[in-house]
Amino acid sequence: MGLMELAATKALASAAVLLFITVLMMASAKRISTCIVLFGAQSAVLTSQILALAFVHKSAEMYIVAAMVFVIKVLAIPLALFRIVERLNAPREVASSTTSSQSVFTAAGLILLSFYAVRPYVQTLGVEEDMLAAAVALILTGAFLMVSRKKALMQVIGLLVLENGIFLAALTTTFGMPLVIEIGIFFDLLMGVFLMGLFVFRIRDTFDHLDVSKLRKLRG
Amino acid sequence: MTPALNILQAALLVLMAPLLRGVIARLKARIQNRQGASIFRPYSDLWKLFRKQDLVPDTASALFRIAPVILFATTVVAAAFVPVLHGGALAGTTGDFILLVYLLALGRFFVLLGAMDGGSAFGGMGASREALVSTLAEAPLLLGLAAVAILSRSSSVQGIVQWTLNQDFFQLSAVHALAFTALTLVAIAETGRIPVDNPTTHLELTMIHEAMVLEYSGPSLAWIEWASAVKLNVILALLIALFVPWGMAAEFTPAALATALAVYVLKALLLAGAIAIVESSVAKLRMYMVPDFLGVASALAILAVVFTALMR
Amino acid sequence: MIHTAFISFLASLLFIPAMFLLFGRSKTARIATCGLLLIFMALGAVLAGAGFWGGAGVGVDLSGVAPLPFVLAVDRLSAFFLLLICSVSVPVVLFSTSYVERHYEGMRRQVLWALLPLFIGSMVVVVTASTAFAFLFGWELMTLFSAGLILIDGDEGERRHSVFIYLLMMHAGAAAVVAAFFLFLGSAPGLDFATMRTAAATMPAGLRTAIFLLSFVGFGTKAGIIPLHLWLPRAHPIAPSPVSALMSGVMLKTAIYGVVRFTFDFLGAGPSWWGYLFLAAGALSGVLGVLYAINEHDLKRLLAYHSVENIGIIYLGLGASLVFLTHGAAGWAALALVAGLLHTINHAIFKSALFLGAGAISDATHTIDIEELGGLLKRMPVTGTAFLVACCSIVGLPLFNGFISEWLTFRSFLAGSTLGNVQAAIVLPLMAGVLALIGGLAAACFAKVYGVAFLGRPRSSEAEHAHEVPLPMTAAMVLLTMACVAIGIAPGFVLRPLGAAVQGLVGGGILPDAAFSMARVIPWVAIAVIGFVALVVALRRAARSTVTWACGLPGLNSRMQYTSTAFSKPLRRVFARVYRAERTIEVSPAGASYFPAAISYRSVRTTSFERSLYRPAVDAIVSASYSLRRLQTGNIQVYLLYIFVALVALLVFVRFA
Repeated sequence: MGLMELAATKALASAAVLLFITVLMMASAKRISTCIVLFGAQSAVLTSQILALAFVHKSAEMYIVAAMVFVIKVLAIPLALFRIVERLNAPREVASSTTSSQSVFTAAGLILLSFYAVRPYVQTLGVEEDMLAAAVALILTGAFLMVSRKKALMQVIGLLVLENGIFLAALTTTFGMPLVIEIGIFFDLLMGVFLMGLFVFRIRDTFDHLDVSKLRKLRG
Repeated sequence: MTPALNILQAALLVLMAPLLRGVIARLKARIQNRQGASIFRPYSDLWKLFRKQDLVPDTASALFRIAPVILFATTVVAAAFVPVLHGGALAGTTGDFILLVYLLALGRFFVLLGAMDGGSAFGGMGASREALVSTLAEAPLLLGLAAVAILSRSSSVQGIVQWTLNQDFFQLSAVHALAFTALTLVAIAETGRIPVDNPTTHLELTMIHEAMVLEYSGPSLAWIEWASAVKLNVILALLIALFVPWGMAAEFTPAALATALAVYVLKALLLAGAIAIVESSVAKLRMYMVPDFLGVASALAILAVVFTALMR
Repeated sequence: MIHTAFISFLASLLFIPAMFLLFGRSKTARIATCGLLLIFMALGAVLAGAGFWGGAGVGVDLSGVAPLPFVLAVDRLSAFFLLLICSVSVPVVLFSTSYVERHYEGMRRQVLWALLPLFIGSMVVVVTASTAFAFLFGWELMTLFSAGLILIDGDEGERRHSVFIYLLMMHAGAAAVVAAFFLFLGSAPGLDFATMRTAAATMPAGLRTAIFLLSFVGFGTKAGIIPLHLWLPRAHPIAPSPVSALMSGVMLKTAIYGVVRFTFDFLGAGPSWWGYLFLAAGALSGVLGVLYAINEHDLKRLLAYHSVENIGIIYLGLGASLVFLTHGAAGWAALALVAGLLHTINHAIFKSALFLGAGAISDATHTIDIEELGGLLKRMPVTGTAFLVACCSIVGLPLFNGFISEWLTFRSFLAGSTLGNVQAAIVLPLMAGVLALIGGLAAACFAKVYGVAFLGRPRSSEAEHAHEVPLPMTAAMVLLTMACVAIGIAPGFVLRPLGAAVQGLVGGGILPDAAFSMARVIPWVAIAVIGFVALVVALRRAARSTVTWACGLPGLNSRMQYTSTAFSKPLRRVFARVYRAERTIEVSPAGASYFPAAISYRSVRTTSFERSLYRPAVDAIVSASYSLRRLQTGNIQVYLLYIFVALVALLVFVRFA
């Protein structure tokens, strides 16, 4: 069991760093498939985090949550997104309104902002600064992705990253939400992704493209 | 004992550099389903070039022939700064990483001038592009190295390596992760590999480094080729020494040194494999996309430096 | 004995101009007086050296002959700057002996020769002044004499406008300096430096801040930090080359002297925003200065913008020192201040060498537009080699002096992380990134300058028929470049006395041992590199000369080479937001876009500071003055009314006060 303990502590210590790296890489990514893979990696890091916490707190509930996160966020959702990308037959590039380096600078700024923002709460809540800052950074980056990317699919991915951040924040501050709420959230998410997939096809069929900025022409 | 070992380290970096080039080329060829030339081909190339006569354009001045020699000399001196087999190098505690970076800049400055001396448009074009890339790569390079230097409280390469050797590998610090990524991107730009520059292209308008040396032939070209191979080797050795130095010999017994050499060769092979894979799967960037690429490296390096103060 | 030597040195700067004016008609008399000037300049350098290396102080009290306290004293800091002035003036005067002979004649030549020692003398007064009156006396004279020297070349059109802007900005800066001095009046009536020093320690914080800001603005205008730099690229290029060398190499340094004297000596440690202000000014000046320089192809304007950049680097060192002082790290403060001061003297040496090189180029080819040069290294080997060494120095490459001061600045930035303060630990290392960017841009710019002007094919017939300039000019440049290499390879002999000189300025901080690590390793690097190159050059076979290959393109001519504008295009494009150039491309005949007879390309760039900062300010002042004109009615009775109203108001005031 010594090896498991070692793995658990290492997972807890390095998770924040890996999340920051996925945030920065997602900001600089130029293809949708890269973003989907990075989202999967992010969720995998979260899974390892939950597993480590489950091992440390010896809670069976958290093992179930970890399994759910793995199945849904690391396997199901990315596979669904890949299927959508394939069937859309659209250009694979991320249509962004900021250049790659501008996005990375913004993401870096958001990371620093999240550190600055969580500083006063660290002492009162008694949590690790890195993890909470990583959670806030995920939320902010998800929002940034939704704002700066023009493709509808990228908005979905931004939303998913945002949800990852909220989940991580809940995990850090309360060591996991009650199982029932977890299940509810997951099914909502799954439904949301499928619905978004359907809508993406409808948008494309009606308007012949997926550029969200062109939807502005709808106004009177 | 130690000075002889340090000289051996530096000589290893200089003499094995063409071999590294050959290995990367061979790996690339195999990945692309070609046979590929022998891994010792760069050595025979150098031998061939050194025996030929130097052809100098009639418009060129004395600087034209001296520039490649200066490039080679500065790169070889830079090789004396990097620990390979054990946690020490010939330059010792005075082997400042800033001096290392600027020694490479000195060599590059003279090659830029040599390119302009050729009197053709391609020399100017190569020099102008190389000036762009090296200008923008300077800041993330120094910042990335500064981040690890700040953590290790030492400004010499040897000092940083010795501090890292005492750390635990799994203590994955954000500073190290960010600095490593930034320095990898900069290393690609500095050594002129894909996606910044294609070292094997024959189309002049796509060249950056090759266009600078278009007028060179014979021994001058040999010095330049060898110097760029040594630079690649030095930068790879620097990355290995600063970020994954474990395996270096702690005492000077033949067994420990042999293990250290084997571990180093393994790490270098892994990096060479990574380079070959990247070069075979990624397209070269348009030249005006390179500032974007280096901007990403700058953002990562700046974040690494800021994190040295935050994550204490 | 030192006392008499100093007095005779000062006196020489007065009677030598007189000799030039009286006896300057005959050539032998002129040469003799030049020789005399050289000897006395060297004497001044020896005196300053005795003060700098030996610590000997000397003073002269002229309060008897002056209406206000006028004392000149040489302490360690003054000795350093005096050494800078005199040791750079010697090669410049040597250069001028040949340059002025060839390019000027008659009364203009005599006046130029008379003004030169007076100009140098005014700078000597500034750095050795020990009372405010002496300082301001020298300060104003510096501006006047340099303006006179610029006007020697004529005052038609654009030149007059440039001189006007120069005088205007210098006076505005001087006004701020005067105000800063006068704020001491309450506590130090004699305005003697010693009493000012003790008085400043007990001043209220608001007064100290006011003095700091006024001196920052006043000396910053003279130093040329952005956004107060507008006069630099206008005034330096239009002066004769030796004068440009003195202005850019030496006169700017008097502003550094002033700012160090005020901030470190008088005011001492202050709040941390003082240091951050210096850092911000230094970073802005460094980056923008070199970005503007990259665009230039007038060699002297390019060098003027590089002066802005190097002043920025000096300010970076000074700012770091202030931040260290605020947090009590006196040793690192000493290191940063030594870095700034070493860059001061390094810049003086290599910038003067560059300007003298520009003078040699204009002497040989009658142009300083590098787009019309090329291939000069083959035709002017000594000038070319000296210019190359100066280029390597200004870029900050190892084995030359620029690297030592830049490395010291880097080292001090890295030490910022050892301070407990989070802000300093973040800002100072990031400034290292800014300095790296500045260095990279400078390398690109000087690769362009040297490559276009000295290498490749000549682009005009003047460049093709250029030949080496006379011995005094080349000797002057070689002297300066030898100093570059000497400091670059063996910096210890300057670092130790500098450390002693700044000890009093940073609260007793001793230079840490880390400062000398470069002095231990650079000689070995030099031996290795130079030895290897010499070995290869000695042992290799001769080369064969052929035509340029260029991938087999036939009929190459000089027009096919990269121009300066072309070389800097990639950088211009990356930093397009800084330049905001207006481009016009005209194709003639219009409409024939594929087979035109001629295409003209014009790109005009006005610095954004002029557009957004100066123009509105100037317009506001002008409109305010217009509205004040309404007071001037021309009617006598209205003027009598003004007097009457003033009288009544005074009576009321006296009654109720």
